[in-house]
Amino acid sequence: MKFTRRDLLVWGAGAAAGLVVSPVPWKVLDDVSIWSQNWPWIPQPARGPVEVKQSFCTLCPNGCGLRVRMAGGWPVGVAGVSSHPISRGALCPLGFAAHQLNWHPRRLHAAQHHGEPSSLSEAQAAFAKACGEGSIVIIDGYPGRAASSVLKTFAEKQGGTYRVVTSSESRALAPYEAWIDAPSSSLGYDLENAQTVVSFGAPMLDGWGTPGRFTWLWAERAGGMTDPQLRLIQIDSSFSRTAARAWQWVPIRDGSESALASGLARVLLEQKLVPAHGPIPPIALSEVAAQTGLSADAIQDLARTFVSHLPVLAIAGDNDPAIAALNIVLGSVGARGGIVRRSKNAESYVAADADIPNARAVLIDGSVPWDFAPQTEAEVFRFAAWDGGPSQSDWLLPSPGFLEALTDVPTAPTLSVETYAVAPALVRPPSEVMSIEQFLSVAEPTLIPVDKIIHSRCEELFRKHSGTLYGQEKTPVAKIASVQKLEEEFSKGAVWVDEPSPSGSMRCELKEWPAATPASRVESWTTEWPIAVLPPLATKLYIESNLREAPERRNA
Amino acid sequence: MSARYGMVIDLDLCTGCGSCMVACAAENNVPSLPQSTARTGLTPIVVRKVSNKMAGSARRETFIPIMCAHCEHDTPCVKVCPQQAVEVDKETGIVMQMPQRCLGCRYCMTACPYHARYFNWWDPSWPKGMEKSLNPGVAVRMRGVVEKCNMCHARMHSAKEKAAAAGKREIDPADYIPACVEACPTGAIRFGNLADANDPASKAARSPEAFRLLARLGTEPKLYYKSKEAWVRALAESNPAHGADQSQEVQRG
Amino acid sequence: MASSVLTDSRWIARGAERTSLSRFLLWLSPWTVLLAIGVYAAGLCLFYGLNQTNMDNRFAFGLWIFLDLGVIALGAGAFFTGFLVYILKRVELKPILNTAVVVGFICYSGAVAILMIDVGQPLRAWFTFWHPNTHSMLTEVTFCISCYLLVLSLEYIPILLRNRQLRKLPSFLVFEHQLHKLVPVFAAVGTLLSFFHQGSLGGLYGVLRGRPFAYRTGFLIWPSTFFLFILSAIASGPSFLMLITATVEKISGRRLVPPEVFRRLGFISGVLLGIYVAAKSIDTLVWLNITSKAEGFAPWQFYSYKPFGTPILFAEIVLLGLVPAFLLTFRKTACHRGWLLTAAAMACGGILLNRFVLTVQTLALPTLPFDEFLQYTPSWQEVASFGGVIAYGVILYSLSFRYLPLFAASKGEDEHVSGN
Repeated sequence: MKFTRRDLLVWGAGAAAGLVVSPVPWKVLDDVSIWSQNWPWIPQPARGPVEVKQSFCTLCPNGCGLRVRMAGGWPVGVAGVSSHPISRGALCPLGFAAHQLNWHPRRLHAAQHHGEPSSLSEAQAAFAKACGEGSIVIIDGYPGRAASSVLKTFAEKQGGTYRVVTSSESRALAPYEAWIDAPSSSLGYDLENAQTVVSFGAPMLDGWGTPGRFTWLWAERAGGMTDPQLRLIQIDSSFSRTAARAWQWVPIRDGSESALASGLARVLLEQKLVPAHGPIPPIALSEVAAQTGLSADAIQDLARTFVSHLPVLAIAGDNDPAIAALNIVLGSVGARGGIVRRSKNAESYVAADADIPNARAVLIDGSVPWDFAPQTEAEVFRFAAWDGGPSQSDWLLPSPGFLEALTDVPTAPTLSVETYAVAPALVRPPSEVMSIEQFLSVAEPTLIPVDKIIHSRCEELFRKHSGTLYGQEKTPVAKIASVQKLEEEFSKGAVWVDEPSPSGSMRCELKEWPAATPASRVESWTTEWPIAVLPPLATKLYIESNLREAPERRNA
Repeated sequence: MSARYGMVIDLDLCTGCGSCMVACAAENNVPSLPQSTARTGLTPIVVRKVSNKMAGSARRETFIPIMCAHCEHDTPCVKVCPQQAVEVDKETGIVMQMPQRCLGCRYCMTACPYHARYFNWWDPSWPKGMEKSLNPGVAVRMRGVVEKCNMCHARMHSAKEKAAAAGKREIDPADYIPACVEACPTGAIRFGNLADANDPASKAARSPEAFRLLARLGTEPKLYYKSKEAWVRALAESNPAHGADQSQEVQRG
Repeated sequence: MASSVLTDSRWIARGAERTSLSRFLLWLSPWTVLLAIGVYAAGLCLFYGLNQTNMDNRFAFGLWIFLDLGVIALGAGAFFTGFLVYILKRVELKPILNTAVVVGFICYSGAVAILMIDVGQPLRAWFTFWHPNTHSMLTEVTFCISCYLLVLSLEYIPILLRNRQLRKLPSFLVFEHQLHKLVPVFAAVGTLLSFFHQGSLGGLYGVLRGRPFAYRTGFLIWPSTFFLFILSAIASGPSFLMLITATVEKISGRRLVPPEVFRRLGFISGVLLGIYVAAKSIDTLVWLNITSKAEGFAPWQFYSYKPFGTPILFAEIVLLGLVPAFLLTFRKTACHRGWLLTAAAMACGGILLNRFVLTVQTLALPTLPFDEFLQYTPSWQEVASFGGVIAYGVILYSLSFRYLPLFAASKGEDEHVSGN
């Protein structure tokens, strides 16, 4: 029997019909739908037992309490700690994605010399050579840590200098040094007892100070209330987030904050609205009105509003002597609800200048914001966990990233009381990174390691017997049994808070009104975020939504 | 024992910081794709800046977080899904999306009055190694499916497991807190069981300043807002602006 | 006949005059290129994902859905002609029956092909059959369109098997003969299925409470758009058939159907269009004055966004609705081929405009108080895929016209005679 083309056609049609009524197509469909749920290129989360650990975020000096969920040894989620007495469960918006940072594509994994791959040992050799040839300038972005103490000690031993880069909130306290006999690092803002907070452009609700501290205060005492306990007056050239939520928004022209502060002080003194007598600011009210765009009447009304709901505290966005002097006139310096001195033995720091003329080498810690670009002929050794783009560094050295190194958490810049905590490392760092302290200890083996410094600090705290420990429960330090118990509590995320200093213990002398300084604008948390790179999830805020502008100076 | 979980957002407290958006994305393994835009991105919760469109001292602004309202009555997305990939969980009132069953037809996205549903236009991807930072309690979705807020259902699972391990039948409310609620630095987002008259969220939902967006559609959303500002409540009740009124409002800020 | 070496005359029905193979291939070439581009674009979408389109979270439906709805409405001529011929016994329309089936098959298969690309996970398309949602209009649409495509295929197979060479196979001849007996059953089933899915396509939008521009109340669970879609589909289907047939007559240069068929189709289309316009006007008035207001919306505000103003409503109901209805039924114009075809084109245009308004305009309009009017422009991949479907239609129709007896009235063509 010949198999013809016709037979082929007939058989083909029959087979097609038969296939349709067989289970084959359905099984294939079922299989592919299972595959479509499990394509191999879809990333799967790590597997492993889940545990929750506590530590602190040390990406910036605010040291928010951190509750970290770990799976298989890796952080898979971060949240705040609601029992933390300052941050009260908050983190900054990007902090919630901080656990992504260690895998950021711009993570530094190897030393670089002039952009070319190098090694830490080569860098150490070069550094040792530099130490022998001249003085080193060390720049620290997060002073007060145990690591900072190592940096300072090294600088002293080597005959070099130690400088710090601080946040805008700290810089706003700098002017007081000229008028009181205490370093500005010993000062803090007693927001908890203020009833009127006047912010001159500082983003109080959007990036000022420790996340959670003022936002919760404001939420509890002012948010949504027509007659709030806490009056927030926002003096701002733009309708910022804080301005939109404030009890009163005072729109002024950009850069006229100093002039306004001087004008307000003049009104307060001339109209005897405050006990202080002088010095009278030399600027005329009409001049202030012209500069700010407010009428003279409005300025006078504002001054009266300031003192109608005491205590009042004026907060500058940056280093502004006129606003600091205004606080003196208001009687807020050394008073409850104002600028307070939180410790008697705070260190005095010298701010780092970008211009460094006479050094042989400059060593920059990883905590220094990336946009601090030194202008110098010296050899620059820069530590960083992430590469923020072109920098003036000769050497770029990989430092531990997020939660990868044991460190301690000194008092955050704006607090009115001293605090202390210890941030344990929760993740092993990659093998190629080295902390700055380890790097220096090769050049100077006598340096005391960080963990020993932390231990002696804990001992000192224990001996002081003052303050309260906020752990699982609130415990006065006096009731803690031993140093070991204290250290154990610290390793589980406890925070020590000192007693507040008695007020009135600060002598303040303002002889003449300070000259006006041009103010620099502080926008929001985006400009305050010190890390060189943004976590990938930051795109939610400015690419995948219209909520915020992209931060300009970042290589995201 | 069935609960009706809902949220009450106090708009007078929201500062528009965006912490809720980041925390939500981190908890739910939402990828961040740099090629996406405000119209193609995945933001199960998104905060919208809204103003009264006036200038100078009369200007008012507020921030409105938008996420799935977990509608209770004639839930639009549940009604229209051709293959029942979304359903209302009877025990909790949460509208559950099953990405494994979703066909990606996007009919639910057309139906949602709040535009709270998002489509995976791309396959998710993270930089090398970053998948180790993914939350193991939440499945990673694939391209071509719709997703939305599910009130951090994985956290409810953990709370249930914890209660079961302790021999209890009911979860401890302190153990089930969605990521956005936990992240908010002013406590603007309140979460709770609206069926429980003593629950603070339930009380807030019944306060005179509470309102819901598009309540007149009759879908009974469980996402409430609160504000003492009359202009905010008036805006919420109003219709979208006339074509002629649509100013070139720059929403970035 | 053609003197080319390559010839396919044995595939062409005896006595039927067709152009030479080389000229035919020349005709097919540009369409093949368009089809290839379309397949490439579709392949890009399947491989890389729907980010190849310009659809986004606000415009979740775009050009393709508009096309699907439009093409299915225009393809309604298939079931409606079958209904008219086999159920209502209007035998004067028999000459157009086969072409109606082919046009219907093209429209529905093209729509299904586009739908397969339009979903994010095409491999899961069968989930609708396994987990159907009885409340969803889209489930209904999926079932009915799939079944109706099957019916159309079964109606197409007999035509296919009437090819000169294929009918030489005795088993095919017998199969075709048996199928032909079932055609009235197919027509009835097709009518039922089409009634439901044409309606459900309208129901897709009418049930959207979140889109007050599209939302309608109606009868029981069916919003008024359900019925309006059926009416508009059966009104435009015959017009579309007329346009296709007239185009084919023009290109092939011969009269394929008696003029009476055109006039009859036109009249039916016109009457139905008139009824549709009346129903739509009532529906619009009810929506403007009752439904929309009850939901708290100011309906005229929907028309305040340029370019979607009230002129579109006017165009839909009057310019491309009432006017062609009049032209198709009024004897003086209906007798004139030019007027007839113009009116048919206007009718089809009006129905397409209606589908556009419901798909694209609905999504562009803001719903939340602080939302804005949105723009959407399809990407080249979307347009190319659409072009591919048109090319597919032209190619399939050309092949059917060349090798199959589509128009039994043509002189000398083989005609299927019962009992052979």
